[in-house]
Amino acid sequence: MNGMMNGIKFMIDMYVSGIVYAACLVFVAGFLCKIYYGYYKTPQPLKIPQTPQPTTLSGVIMRMAGDVFFFRSLAKGTTLLFIAGWVFHFTFFLMIIRHLRYFVNPVPGFIIALGNGALAIASLLMVALVVLFLRRFINKKVNYVSSFADYFVLLLIMGIVQSGIMLHYERFRPNIIEGKAFMLELLELKTPFLVMIMHPHHAPGNSLFITHLSLVALLLIYFPFSKLMHAGGYFFSPTRNMINNAREVRYINPWDKG
Amino acid sequence: MTKEKTAEEQCNEACEANERIQEQLKFSKIKVKAVKLTGEINIPELNPKSMLSVKPQLLTAKEMLEHLGYPAGGLVPNWKEVFLRKMDEMLKKYRSVKLYMDICVKCGACVDKCHYYLGTGDPLNMPVARQELMRKVYRRYFTLPGKLFGSRFVNGSDLSEELLVMWYTYFYQCSECRRCSVFCPYGIDTAEITMAAREILNSVGIVQKYLHEIIFKAQVIGNNLGMQQNAIVNALEFVQDELQEETGLDIKVPIDVEGAEVLFVTPSADFFASPHIESLYGYAKVFHQAGISWTMSTHASEGGNFGLFIHNYEHMKKINKRIWEAARALKVKRVVGGECGHMWRVLSSYSNTMWGPFDYLDQKYKRPQHICELTNDLLNRGALKIDKSANEEFIVTMHDSCQVARGMELGGMPNGQFEIPRAVIRGVCEKFVEMPADTIKERTFCCGAGQGLLGDDMMATRVKGAMPRMQAYHYAKRESGVNFVALICAICKAQLSKMFPEYGVAMEEVGGIHQLVGRAIVLGAKESV
Repeated sequence: MNGMMNGIKFMIDMYVSGIVYAACLVFVAGFLCKIYYGYYKTPQPLKIPQTPQPTTLSGVIMRMAGDVFFFRSLAKGTTLLFIAGWVFHFTFFLMIIRHLRYFVNPVPGFIIALGNGALAIASLLMVALVVLFLRRFINKKVNYVSSFADYFVLLLIMGIVQSGIMLHYERFRPNIIEGKAFMLELLELKTPFLVMIMHPHHAPGNSLFITHLSLVALLLIYFPFSKLMHAGGYFFSPTRNMINNAREVRYINPWDKG
Repeated sequence: MTKEKTAEEQCNEACEANERIQEQLKFSKIKVKAVKLTGEINIPELNPKSMLSVKPQLLTAKEMLEHLGYPAGGLVPNWKEVFLRKMDEMLKKYRSVKLYMDICVKCGACVDKCHYYLGTGDPLNMPVARQELMRKVYRRYFTLPGKLFGSRFVNGSDLSEELLVMWYTYFYQCSECRRCSVFCPYGIDTAEITMAAREILNSVGIVQKYLHEIIFKAQVIGNNLGMQQNAIVNALEFVQDELQEETGLDIKVPIDVEGAEVLFVTPSADFFASPHIESLYGYAKVFHQAGISWTMSTHASEGGNFGLFIHNYEHMKKINKRIWEAARALKVKRVVGGECGHMWRVLSSYSNTMWGPFDYLDQKYKRPQHICELTNDLLNRGALKIDKSANEEFIVTMHDSCQVARGMELGGMPNGQFEIPRAVIRGVCEKFVEMPADTIKERTFCCGAGQGLLGDDMMATRVKGAMPRMQAYHYAKRESGVNFVALICAICKAQLSKMFPEYGVAMEEVGGIHQLVGRAIVLGAKESV
């Protein structure tokens, strides 16, 4: 009996460490490759900044910050999408910050403080996702341009949020101390070896937790091959990141360089 | 024997494909009626395929096609190969194209922003749907999942003749005005995608007539209208005679004068088309009264640069080159551009990259300068005497032309392209009223015929695409009694002066800003500067 339990634990440990490593590897390598070879290395022949583009570098940085933090461009055209989109991104970001407590030791004060509102934040995140989903479905024009992939990402993140919210409750909560110890070992790249010699720390065997983690891994793996690349891609968008000073400063077409 | 036969068969297949394409792309005259003006811009319901039958004429003149380096015999036999090779080149040479293929999340912020969508309700005129025509090919042939699992898996498109037809139809219903891009959270610029798509179509032998005929004329003859040098000289002499007769003063419209301070470039339509020519009178009066020696050039007799409208750097560079050759040859100190939208974008944003640095010009001034910058400067310094009562009859509004409004700064200020032309209008007119805020400045609506869609064969898109601007003008007219729209673009002038009557408004209500300046300027001996 004991042997069988150990066997299951071993399989779970291997699965969890496997998907975490695989997901991180695909995500980091895929993201960096796309950014470096796809966007950074591809030349932009001409200056195509777009109104209201500032004429100084600091101005451009401010404009981009406005786009990144407050979705300024999006806010110009559509109110519902702007609010739902911004709430979604902001609460998602807060939840990621909150999850750092499983990866750092000791846990900084602001992350602990965030814990008080975590359930509210996650619920808001879920509401925003539902709004985005319904809008995509109901709005005829957006529906027309949507494909399976667009719904898939929303459903995937909904799955992550829903399982995460459930994990918050006592009934489903895994052994967090044990789980964190396992994670920290993962970060030190020790786990594969420790698993072999039956180290005392194990991944939580809670099926809901494993679902949650698997969905996150799937999202990370999907990320570099999908529209989610807008996250890094925005910073390379020539209509936004070029300074509006073509007459003052000569822009050299990269094609013409050696 | 068998080898020969297959070659023949292949040829037959290719010829048949070409015939099928030519048949499907055949131009047919479509009459559309302008909607009734209410002053409201309503967002239409989806009306699929309503614009599918609208196709511009194809260029068939062998000489022109050969000169431009495009296939002269219609669709090339191995078109799929050529298509993908060209698309690959576009993706590798233009970060804009590559990035914008990748990062669209289809949020839908742009779906109701395009004037062609608003005018037609055709879903493929929604910017994101237009981009998807290319993105489907991108996903199928240029992403790993698409290569591995095919078009079904990635929601892509295999290359087909049907796809070519869709591309030709809808990438020639985009006027590259960049309005959608203003509202896009990532600044995705449909214009960049349309330009690339048109060049890809060109490479397989599907070449639109109006646009490419003009590129040819601008390169070979020197201007979009194909006027020979003596014709230009005659036209300008006529303008000069008219001016002198009207004013009784020795106002010059100089041509090819070496050593002049200013080389003035403007669209060749300004030489005789109406209402363009009225602005030419205005420019001449400004230069005359300010005492600035200026000249036009027969070599650089065109400001416009249709090379911008397709992703073909060489075409654009060749056309632009004439201006800088003329500037050097005539030993001028400044280059000033007249009223033209895309001309100004190429001249201001791209010239420096293509033919700079301009260290041989006067460093005190922006290089090049816009005529509105020059006039505004003169007005501010009090160097021009103005009698606003000459424009008393007008209540003026301003239509921001897309390539100026969403392109470069004017006067070194980020929003100078809005403020400076308005300052000039206010400087010469008593009454100025804005159109609704959603239709001006960075959110301005295209006139409906920009970037290669001004041909008579495009009347259907022109009438429908002009709807938002016409509604906004009607609103200003109804609410504030506006009776003149001033603008700074030759294409807008040509389009709106044709569309106004279509929508039941007098065509005289369209004109350039310098038409107003020309009327208000008090000529004669200067009191002081």
